[in-house]
Amino acid sequence: MQVNLNVLRYDPVSNGDGSRQTYSVEVEEQSSVLDALIQVQEEQDATLSFRGSCRSGFCGDCTMRVNGKAKWACRMPVSKAQVDGEITLDPPRLVKGVKDLVYDQEEFLFDKYAATKPWIEPSPPGPADEHIVSQEKIKELQEASSCTLCGMCDEGCTVLVIDKTFLGPAALTRAFKPVADPRDKVIERRLSELSEKRGMWDCVHCFEATEHCPKGIDPTDRILSLRDEAIKRGIGTPRVVRHNDSFAKSIKSSGWLDEARLAIESEGLTNIGGLMHLVPTAAKAMAHRKAPLPYLHKKRPGSKHIKRIFEKWEKGSK
Amino acid sequence: MPRYDVVVVGGGFAGMSTALSAREQGASVCIVTKQHPLRSHSSGAQSGINAGLRGANAWESHGLDTVKAGAYFSEQDVVEEICQEAATQVIALEHMGVPFDRNGDGRIDQITFPASSKARTCYCSDATGHNILQTLYEQVLRMQIPVHHDCSAVSLIMMDDGSCQGVFARSLRDGSLVAYSSGSVVLATGGMGRMYRDNTSSTASTGDGVAMAYRAGAALRDMEMVQFAPTALAPNGILITAAARGEGAVLVGSNNAQIDSRSGSDVVSQAVARELANGDVFLDFKDVDSGRLSETRLLIKDLVGMDISKDPVPVRPVMHRPIGGIKIDGSGSTAVTGLYAAGECANSGLNGANRLGGNSLLESVVVGRRAGESAAGHAGSVGPAPDLATHQADEERKVAAIVAREKGAESAGVIRRELASLMQENVGIFRDGAGLSGTAAKLSSLRERCEAVGVRGPASGYSTEIAAIIELGNMLDVAEVIAASALAREESRGSHSRTDFPNRDDENWMKHTVARGSDDGPKLTYEPVTVTRWQPEGSS
Repeated sequence: MQVNLNVLRYDPVSNGDGSRQTYSVEVEEQSSVLDALIQVQEEQDATLSFRGSCRSGFCGDCTMRVNGKAKWACRMPVSKAQVDGEITLDPPRLVKGVKDLVYDQEEFLFDKYAATKPWIEPSPPGPADEHIVSQEKIKELQEASSCTLCGMCDEGCTVLVIDKTFLGPAALTRAFKPVADPRDKVIERRLSELSEKRGMWDCVHCFEATEHCPKGIDPTDRILSLRDEAIKRGIGTPRVVRHNDSFAKSIKSSGWLDEARLAIESEGLTNIGGLMHLVPTAAKAMAHRKAPLPYLHKKRPGSKHIKRIFEKWEKGSK
Repeated sequence: MPRYDVVVVGGGFAGMSTALSAREQGASVCIVTKQHPLRSHSSGAQSGINAGLRGANAWESHGLDTVKAGAYFSEQDVVEEICQEAATQVIALEHMGVPFDRNGDGRIDQITFPASSKARTCYCSDATGHNILQTLYEQVLRMQIPVHHDCSAVSLIMMDDGSCQGVFARSLRDGSLVAYSSGSVVLATGGMGRMYRDNTSSTASTGDGVAMAYRAGAALRDMEMVQFAPTALAPNGILITAAARGEGAVLVGSNNAQIDSRSGSDVVSQAVARELANGDVFLDFKDVDSGRLSETRLLIKDLVGMDISKDPVPVRPVMHRPIGGIKIDGSGSTAVTGLYAAGECANSGLNGANRLGGNSLLESVVVGRRAGESAAGHAGSVGPAPDLATHQADEERKVAAIVAREKGAESAGVIRRELASLMQENVGIFRDGAGLSGTAAKLSSLRERCEAVGVRGPASGYSTEIAAIIELGNMLDVAEVIAASALAREESRGSHSRTDFPNRDDENWMKHTVARGSDDGPKLTYEPVTVTRWQPEGSS
C-alpha cells in the first residue's frame, strides 16, 4: 500500500526551527510505521534520522508522536496510522530534539532513572539458594518491571510541562519496583530519597501517565502506592500526612471537602508560621467572595451514607 | 579519554555481564555501544534461561540435550563447563533482583522447552530477556561503570606485535572518532540478522564485532551455521517466542497436518518451511493456559489484530541468530592477544550446529563473566598506554575518504536490501551448491558498489549515513564468510541444510570450519570436534 509520511526535519545546524518533509512510499500491507521509516531511509533519503531498535515493542526506543499522539512506531501498523492519506510524525513534545525524530533520552529518561538507584540491596539466603518469594509477589514485580522506559508516560505528564526537573512517572514507576521487592533491605532509605524535592510528592495525579502507558502498568497508581508506603512508614513530609488525614476526616464527617479546614489542618494547628502564610490567601479569597463569612461548612445530602462507607472500610482494613 | 583496563563493545547481556565481572576483578572498565544498553536486542529475548538447578548432577542431562540439539557438533568440554556453571549464574541473577517465576514453594519455577528432556528453563513470564536486561543494567549503575552509548565501534586498535589495545568508535552525537585505549577488548556486539530479509534482529545487528575481529586476524568458526526460528508471524516476520511452544502451543499445517513442535528450532523450522509449500502453517495456542504469555498476546494483538485464545496464528520461519562467530575458548579468548568475545558474536562451541532453546541467555551470561575475568587478568600484564596518534590519523583518513566520495545515486540502504534478499534466497534455511557459488560473485559486486556510496547530507550529530556505509561493509565481510563456509560444507547438519547433500556425514564432516581473512577472501581450514562423554549418534 501507498503511505505518505509527513516528518519533522530538524537539524540544529542547517534549519534551526525545523521544516516538514513528506515522503511517499509503497510498503507491505502489514508494515509498521517504523518499517516505513526504515524503508524511506534506505530507499529514498539516507539523511533522515530516527530511533528504533528491536522492531517489536520490547526495547522502548522508537517513541514518537504519530499524528500528534505519542506511540511506539514499531507497534503502530501503517494501515491504522494513516489519517486522510497521511501519517504525521514528530519527536516527543517535552524533550530536546537532536535531529529529525531523534531526541535526547539521556536527560529526559536515563539520568532520572539512574538517580532513583534502582538496584536492589538484598541479603541473600546463601550463594546457592534463591530467595523464597510467592508467585503472587513475583507477578506484581514483573508487572511493575515490564516498563521499558520508553518515556510515553512522561510525554503525557502535566507536571513535567512546567517543571522539567520533576523525576517524572517513568523514573518513579521504575523506582516502585525495588520498593515492592521483598528481597530489598533499604526500602525506607529509598522512600526518603524519593520524598525529596522533585520526587513522588510532586505528582498531581492527573492520571495522564496511566492513559499514556502502552503496557498498562498504571504509573499513577505506582506513584500513589509509593506515597501510601511512605505514609505507612511515617516517611515523607508531615504536612502531606496531615493533609491526607484532614481530607479523609472532612469527607467522612460532612460528605465533602471542607477547604478551609483542609488548609488549616494541613499546616498544623500549632504551626503559627504556616498558618500566618495562609492569611494573605484567605484575605484574597474573601475579597473575591470565594470564602463567604460567616464560614459555614454544611453536611451534604446523603453524608451519613458516605460516613457508613468509611466505617465499613475502616472495619475491613483493621 | 582515559586509558581503561578493559573496554567492552556492546551493552546487551554478554556485554554487561562481561563489564560487571571485569569490574569485580578490580579492573577499570567501560562499555562502548551503538545503543543504550536498555535498548539492546537482549530486551527482545523473551524465552528463558536454562540451568539444572536441583540435584548435583542436574547439569548432565542439560549437557546431553545441548549436544543432541547441536547435532553432536558442540565442543563438549565447553558444554560441560557452561552447564555446570549454569545454576550458580542463575542464582546470582536472582540475587541481583531478576523476578523469576516461582513454583508453589516460592522457589524458581522451570518449564520444559522444546528439545529439552526436563523442565530446566527458568523464566520471567514471556519477558525473560527484558527482566534480565533491566537487572543487569541496574548493576552497571550500582558499579558505576561508564557507558558510552550512541557510539559505534569501527575498528580495533592493533599494535605492531599483533595485540589488540583498544577500539576506535564513531560518536553518533557529533561524528567524532574516539580512541578507547585499553589493555584488553571484549567484543559483545550481538548478531548480524540485518543481512537477511526476514529476521528477528534489532536494527543494530549488523555483525560489527565479527567483522572487526575478522579484519584484525581473529578466526571465525562454523559461520555456515545460521539458526532460523520456526514461528515468526507470517504477515510481517516478527518473532513469536519459543516459549510459546514451551507452554504447549502446537504447529498445524494445511488439512490439519500436525507438525513436530517439540524438536529443536533447526528441525522444526525446516519442517515448517517444507509444509509451507502445501499451504499455510499455523501456531495453535488452544492448549496454552490463558494466564500465560501475556507479552506475546499483546504483541500479536497490536501487530496483526488477532486474539490467540480464539484463533491460530499464521507463521513462517525467519532468520534468528548466528550460531557461528568469533572463535573463542571457554574463557572467551580469541586467537588475537588482548581480544576477547562473548555472546551472540562469538562461537564458544556450546551450540554445535544448532542452539538449544534457553541456552543463548545462559551462554551470554556465563561466557560473558568468564571473558570479563580473562580480559581483566590480561590487562594487568599489559604495559603503559601506547601513543595512538598515527593510528588515529589513519582511522580519520578512512572516514574522510568516505566523506570525500562523490555523491552518486547509490545508497547503502538499497545495497543492504539487495544483500538481504540475496542471503535470504541463497544462504537461507535450505541451500545448494549452485545458489551458494553464485552468491560469492554477487557479494563482490555489492562490495564494489558499497565502496562507491557517497554521503549526501551534512555529517552532523545523529546523521546515520556514514554509520550505514560502515555497517554495510561489515555485513558484506561476514556474508562472504558465511557463503564460503556453507558452500564448502557438503553435508546437512543442524541448521546447515544442503538440498544437494541432505544427510549428515560424520565420516567426512565431523569437523569445524575455521575461516580467516586473506587478500583472496576467506581461507577455510578445519579443526576436530571435541568429544568428551557423549558419543555421536544419529548420523545417516
